[in-house]
Amino acid sequence: MAENLASKDWEPKIVAIVCNWCTYAGADLAGISRIQYPPNVRIIRVPCTGRINPFYIVKALQTGADGVLVSGCHPGECHYISGNLVARRKFAALKSFLSYIGMEGDRTMFTWVSASEGDRFAQVIRGVTAKVKALGPATKLKKKLG
Amino acid sequence: MENIETKLREEAKRLLLEKKADVIVGYEKGTLPLTATPCFITTPEEADKLVWNDLCTQNLAKFVHDLITQHKNSQKRVKPEDRKKKVIGVVARGCTTRSLIIHLQERQYGRDEVYIIGVPCTGYMDVKKLKVAVNGADIVEGSIADGKISITTAEGEKSIALKDVLAESCRTCRFNNPIISDTMVGSPVPAMNPDHEYDDVSEFEKKSIEERWTYFTKEMEKCIRCNACRQACPSCYCPTCFVEQSQPQWVGIGEDKTDTQVFQLMRLYHMVGRCVDCGSCVAVCPMGVDLRKFLKKIDKDCWELFGNRAGSSMEDTPPLGKYSENDKEEFIFNP
Repeated sequence: MAENLASKDWEPKIVAIVCNWCTYAGADLAGISRIQYPPNVRIIRVPCTGRINPFYIVKALQTGADGVLVSGCHPGECHYISGNLVARRKFAALKSFLSYIGMEGDRTMFTWVSASEGDRFAQVIRGVTAKVKALGPATKLKKKLG
Repeated sequence: MENIETKLREEAKRLLLEKKADVIVGYEKGTLPLTATPCFITTPEEADKLVWNDLCTQNLAKFVHDLITQHKNSQKRVKPEDRKKKVIGVVARGCTTRSLIIHLQERQYGRDEVYIIGVPCTGYMDVKKLKVAVNGADIVEGSIADGKISITTAEGEKSIALKDVLAESCRTCRFNNPIISDTMVGSPVPAMNPDHEYDDVSEFEKKSIEERWTYFTKEMEKCIRCNACRQACPSCYCPTCFVEQSQPQWVGIGEDKTDTQVFQLMRLYHMVGRCVDCGSCVAVCPMGVDLRKFLKKIDKDCWELFGNRAGSSMEDTPPLGKYSENDKEEFIFNP
């Protein structure tokens, strides 16, 4: 772990929690279309962004993720009609509170990617990876294991 | 004050005699000088125990929820036709009624299961501030009259102005008067100083990110995870709290400091649209963690983002249970 942090070619670990109906399909499309994007992201598929317990995000940060990305359907396009709109409220409050207590704002990202936007998915991952890389390894809220 | 107290006792007596309430939750004189403690009154004779003064600290909505849940659980094994309804009377100031509204909004019980005796409130005394004011000396005796607290300590006598030791949440209170009530005791009082309620938060927001993180970690290091804040909070009523949950285990039970941070962070986050700033958690904290600095931010965000003040009206619904098409979304990342 220690060498990992010190090394120049440190690569961030990013957890992407994405919804089954839009962003996951978007990621699939990016793959099928062979669009290149950084391999730093670990995708977790959930039925809908509304299903995401804000605890998932905090827990990911605590157990070693350098960044968390949450992505779902664009507003108005949710498979469950309003899941992403309810999620938007939860995340607005969470993100604001996390920055208030002194977490870097760029460690938690929220975005919308639809099933047809393979290109946008790759762009988002590139953007998020660049931002988290600029911040360096996470130290705040991170549990030291072992 | 005296006047309110006598009226309150009469009202409680009447309710118990007329069988309008089975139990009255109120405050009685505490065992230590200058304290008041929650009590349960079930017979008219006991009603004279009730007090109402500047020492009544705890939010009684917590006990209303506890009593009703307990009663409902005890009725589970009773045949449906034999089930009894229980009405809980409660002495409620502004923040207590806001908590009751939150319970009603979250469908914890029916409006007919509570009888609210509303009392206007001019704030309560912060015991920790008083302790500081007397330099930590043991208080032997004390009394309050006309906004002055006269204290006898082992080192001598002292007089302190009540407004100097008023709890932080009372200083800028917006809802002094009960929002809903079945009867009112006493006449309404003006709001304290609501224009400055977010001053602390705005000041903290202006600090640098490192300063804020240092403050947060410093405060959380004090926390001994006794869960007193959760026990005292009227909005914390889950049958199984995430703290005790083991599948999944959300927070570790060890001494790790990030576990404490995550516990506090998530308990605070659960207060979005539910914290009424009653100050009960701050009052019971044995370590003096500055929880209000963070809770007030949650309250501010809730107002600025969703236009909701927790429990401020019966018509409202919980802000995280609904949405609007044009909610703010500046925080959404667009590459």
